[in-house]
Amino acid sequence: MRVTTDIGGTFTDLLYIDNNGEFYFDKVHTTPPNFENGVMNVMEKSSLNYEMIDMFIHGSTIVINTLTERKGAKVGLITTKGARDVLEIARGNRPDLYNFKYKKPAPFVERYLRLEVNERMNYKGEILEGLSEEDVLDAIDYFKKENVDAVAVCLLHAYKNPLHERAVVDLVRKYWPETTVTASHELINEWREYERTNTTVLNSYVKPVMERYIDNLDSKLNEKISNNNRYIMQSNGGITSFDDSREFPVNLIESGPVAGVYGAAILGEIIGEPNIISFDIGGTTAKCSLINNKEVKVSTDYYIEKNDRYAGYPVKVPVVDIVEIGNGGGSIAWIDELGSLKVGPQSAGSNPGPVSYGQGGEKATTTDANLYVGRLSAKNFDNNVDIVKLREAINNQVANAFNTPTEDGALGIIDIANSNMLNALKLISVRKGFNPQDFTMVAFGGGGPMHAAELARELKIKKVVIPHAASVFSAWGMLMSDTRKDYIQTYLAKLDKLDFKNINDQWNVMEHTSLDDFSNNNLDKFPIEFERSIDLRYEGQEHTVKMRISDDIWNEEFVESIKTSFHEMHEFTYSFRLENTGVEIVNMHLTSIGKIDRPKLKQLENKGIELKDTIKEVRDVYFKNNGWSKTNIYNRELLEEGHMIEGPAVIEERTTSTIILDNQQARIDEYGNIILIVEVK
Amino acid sequence: MTQTNTNPYAKEIIKDTLMSIGEEMFVALARTSMSPIIYEVLDYACGLTDAKGNLISQGNGVTSFIGMLSPMVKSVLDKFGDDLKKGDIIIINDPYVGGGSHLSDVGLVMPIFHENQLVGFSANKGHWTDVGGKDPGSLTSDSTEIFQEGIQLSGVKLFDEGILNNSLETIITDNIRLPQFSIGDMWAQVSALRTGEKRFKELCNLHSKETLVQVIEDLILSSEEYSQQVISSLPKGVYEAEDFIEGDSEKGGPYKIKVKVTITDAEFICDFRGSHEQVFHPVNCTYYGLLASVRVMYLAIVQPQFNITEGLFKPLKIITDRKSILSAERPAPVSMNFEARLGGAELIWKALAPTIPERLPAGHSLSVCSVTVSGVHPHTHEDFLIVEPSVGGWGATNESDGQRGQFCMGNGETYNVPIEVAEAKYGVMVSEYAFRNDSGGAGEFIGGQGVVRSYKILSDDQYLSASYGRHKFAPWGMNGGKAGAPSYIEVYRENGDVVGPFGVTTRLNLKKGDTVKLVTPSGGGYGNPKDRNYDKVERDIKNGFYTEEEARIQFGHK
Repeated sequence: MRVTTDIGGTFTDLLYIDNNGEFYFDKVHTTPPNFENGVMNVMEKSSLNYEMIDMFIHGSTIVINTLTERKGAKVGLITTKGARDVLEIARGNRPDLYNFKYKKPAPFVERYLRLEVNERMNYKGEILEGLSEEDVLDAIDYFKKENVDAVAVCLLHAYKNPLHERAVVDLVRKYWPETTVTASHELINEWREYERTNTTVLNSYVKPVMERYIDNLDSKLNEKISNNNRYIMQSNGGITSFDDSREFPVNLIESGPVAGVYGAAILGEIIGEPNIISFDIGGTTAKCSLINNKEVKVSTDYYIEKNDRYAGYPVKVPVVDIVEIGNGGGSIAWIDELGSLKVGPQSAGSNPGPVSYGQGGEKATTTDANLYVGRLSAKNFDNNVDIVKLREAINNQVANAFNTPTEDGALGIIDIANSNMLNALKLISVRKGFNPQDFTMVAFGGGGPMHAAELARELKIKKVVIPHAASVFSAWGMLMSDTRKDYIQTYLAKLDKLDFKNINDQWNVMEHTSLDDFSNNNLDKFPIEFERSIDLRYEGQEHTVKMRISDDIWNEEFVESIKTSFHEMHEFTYSFRLENTGVEIVNMHLTSIGKIDRPKLKQLENKGIELKDTIKEVRDVYFKNNGWSKTNIYNRELLEEGHMIEGPAVIEERTTSTIILDNQQARIDEYGNIILIVEVK
Repeated sequence: MTQTNTNPYAKEIIKDTLMSIGEEMFVALARTSMSPIIYEVLDYACGLTDAKGNLISQGNGVTSFIGMLSPMVKSVLDKFGDDLKKGDIIIINDPYVGGGSHLSDVGLVMPIFHENQLVGFSANKGHWTDVGGKDPGSLTSDSTEIFQEGIQLSGVKLFDEGILNNSLETIITDNIRLPQFSIGDMWAQVSALRTGEKRFKELCNLHSKETLVQVIEDLILSSEEYSQQVISSLPKGVYEAEDFIEGDSEKGGPYKIKVKVTITDAEFICDFRGSHEQVFHPVNCTYYGLLASVRVMYLAIVQPQFNITEGLFKPLKIITDRKSILSAERPAPVSMNFEARLGGAELIWKALAPTIPERLPAGHSLSVCSVTVSGVHPHTHEDFLIVEPSVGGWGATNESDGQRGQFCMGNGETYNVPIEVAEAKYGVMVSEYAFRNDSGGAGEFIGGQGVVRSYKILSDDQYLSASYGRHKFAPWGMNGGKAGAPSYIEVYRENGDVVGPFGVTTRLNLKKGDTVKLVTPSGGGYGNPKDRNYDKVERDIKNGFYTEEEARIQFGHK
């Protein structure tokens, strides 16, 4: 049996799959500040047999919450002489261009806790000046006096030569064993000192909190479960050991949403679709990601708190590429200063929530609009929906301003929300050179199934899959994960002047480092597979293109093939190529995956129910082209393999609804997934 | 709002899509550019205009370009009129006509046709690393006429009906240094233009041309109405300010400039008459350069929370003398035009800040603090060229301390070059990148600190050119706050000699082992220093921004 528990802001979820492929799902309230209690509670509630657990996989939002709520540790930072203010100067940018009172993101370490030590490397990693141990010891004394909880170390060019950083860490451990310390090279080996310093600082900032939490959870689990197969979800779409996540908690920063993307890739493999657009709509945001030929893209361009008017904080750890926009079910409709209709990013959240929740919410949201036009049923709400209030909210906020009936106003809200999501979906597909027609959309979360049909039609996507248990799909993805670690090394070299031996050695070093890393972290139980990528660019460019490569030995012939592929890829992505310009490598990227056997999926039982008997009701639903139409509402729980539903129709389940438009058709496959055929010939 | 038969919500979707186009073009260009001035500094802008050249959608990294695209398109329209064909791309960097700043900012304009009718323009403008002229990087601080500043492109067809003009490309390549970068950028610009064209045409295909035109008119009109509304809410009156463009004191600077701002119910009039006449020193700006930066200032006052279109600028009027330092004419040199361009705009800030402190803080670094270093990399033996602006301190506001280490008003989504990137690419070592500890700017809220950036020179015969404004006149304090600290540059020779402090230099020869110390201005303070919260002063001391002695003198701290 494989169990996942996932701690969210409101609920702690549990999903397990037993050896027969049977699912079980449950949730309890999250229990701050002792989050581990919620985990134990939900396991008790589900009354599972602890002896049967082969593998325990955990996800949590503790890292991101500690950061955004500023509840982490007091951090002391050690930098190279002359560089202590790098963390606060940051990049000097002011994205809110016309706001002269803009405030930069405040650094997580105030200036008096940023200390410099004498030492210097150059960009080749050659030592220009040895490390002053005295300076390090002085820094330790000062930090002790200031009651610092955690130390971060980031020295210039440590990505090239970590010798001095290691020496600092050794000194801190020797003279101050009670404290916890992170050095930048342990997390990142890419250039750009501000980004590296900030990431290292954030790791130290959350580390004491995470250590306490993991230790508590671990000891509680020890009371119940004898084996030590415990894992935690990371932002790169893979899982790792408790020990590892205790050391490098910042790697868990975006673990929740990426599990969904990973799940979409796995589902794609199972149903034979290598090209997937993963699309997840929750309460406050919509998230999408593109999976090209089974490959979930991972990069280190992640930020927290960044938006188009705020610089935010870079976190240069491997994170699955996700485009996230402030458009979810709870997103509020409003009219801007110019009289234009907008939806989000402001959200009604879960409290008070949309108007239809009846908890005092007064502002119409996307969920309210979906309810008003009949896509959702008031019967599936826990409360009695006040339709009069709902109509008033939509009229006051939208329909009156445009002189239209309420239902057109509601449809307007849905259209604007769709337009926002369409932009996000285009950003990951057409804007990157991919043709959406070559992709299958996997839509999940509470809102995905409701919006997918229209968006797929706009994008000319041919097929949409609404997975079984769509609202807990992210947890399902977690159940299917492999162990994974990414190693990125800045290696600046021109392809034409490459030292083949050096780069082949470098790959070997990285693979050996990785194997050691896996065994040190108790991750060597599973067969490890390596995947290589490189970040390439034309000489002179700054931004790079990531390219998967084979693990062939590097020689002239191999480099030629890389060049050819790079020109093609650059043209594909950016619409032009520069044949006569040199190509250079910026980063080497090794991904190590410990392949775990996946639990098999259970096929749907066939009870021979006829399609007409799965119709719950016939209700009025408002469609753009046809107006109010009598529409069949199907009960998803009763649907069986082979059932074929013609649009327009709605398939309802407890937590979401799937919309099927005219000229669309839905089929149920053997696992209970809804396969939506977007344009029926 | 004008009535049409189209579903009102469909028009909202069109607006949404239009707005996202400028941004998409912007991102496309950054990701393919060859030079740091574009990909790190984001010194460029992309946008769409309607068929008459009115701005409808823009993505930009530096503020000033916001005002440059539409005048540039309009000048292309004036020049070519009916000679614009499908597939044409016009290249233009003439500073004296629409949209001009200096020759380094090279614009491309592409007309967009739908069913053989001109429906709009795709345009962008980017700072090229080099456009030729007497000095590497084409940022010269001692030119006396424009001919010394680089190649001039007064609006010529780079593409004629889709066919590249190879001769023109050759002429450009032959006349600039490091052409591989700039020509690479040119292709990135072309690619971004085509993206804009493609998206605009997608919209044309989805909706009728009439609907599209209607939506665009609505957009421009509604932003005009918004702008009028804000102006009418500002305190009416006449506000005046004077200041100086520092220039080079050996060549006649500083030069006095002045403004009289008149706010009426419907208009915002900036009268710069009486400012110094144009000079034989490249700190002049043209009328269009001034227009662009005054527009930035205007936006900082109006503060729209939506995308910017032409309509916003309707209430704005600008009056200058002809051939003034703020409205220079051919062949006046303009390479360092940002000095006059930003100086002129900041006068409006200085005049209005005490009246609207909720919108404007005390004086900031103002100067772009541009630095150019050229030389040969000691390891790769390749030529390198640093062209970069520098971060400085911003003024305190009526509710908080000023920002430390941030690019000036003329920049924006501009990124500094990381130490590790700089050391790999250039023949220098960055021995210090830190806040100043000698900032001044005392007040109830203190001015933000400028920074010290020191380059240790690693090979012989490198050359430094720099223009650091606010060297003689520190950023101004406000409502009782003290002035910030002025900028300066010093060069420490290996033999112990010190050159400087100075604010401007041209082609200063540097030897291996020299250290160039670049110090940017700190911002002005706000309010009486004696009113500063006791704990905050304690914190300032602990953080090393003031010594106890300074704190006692400045804040009366015990």
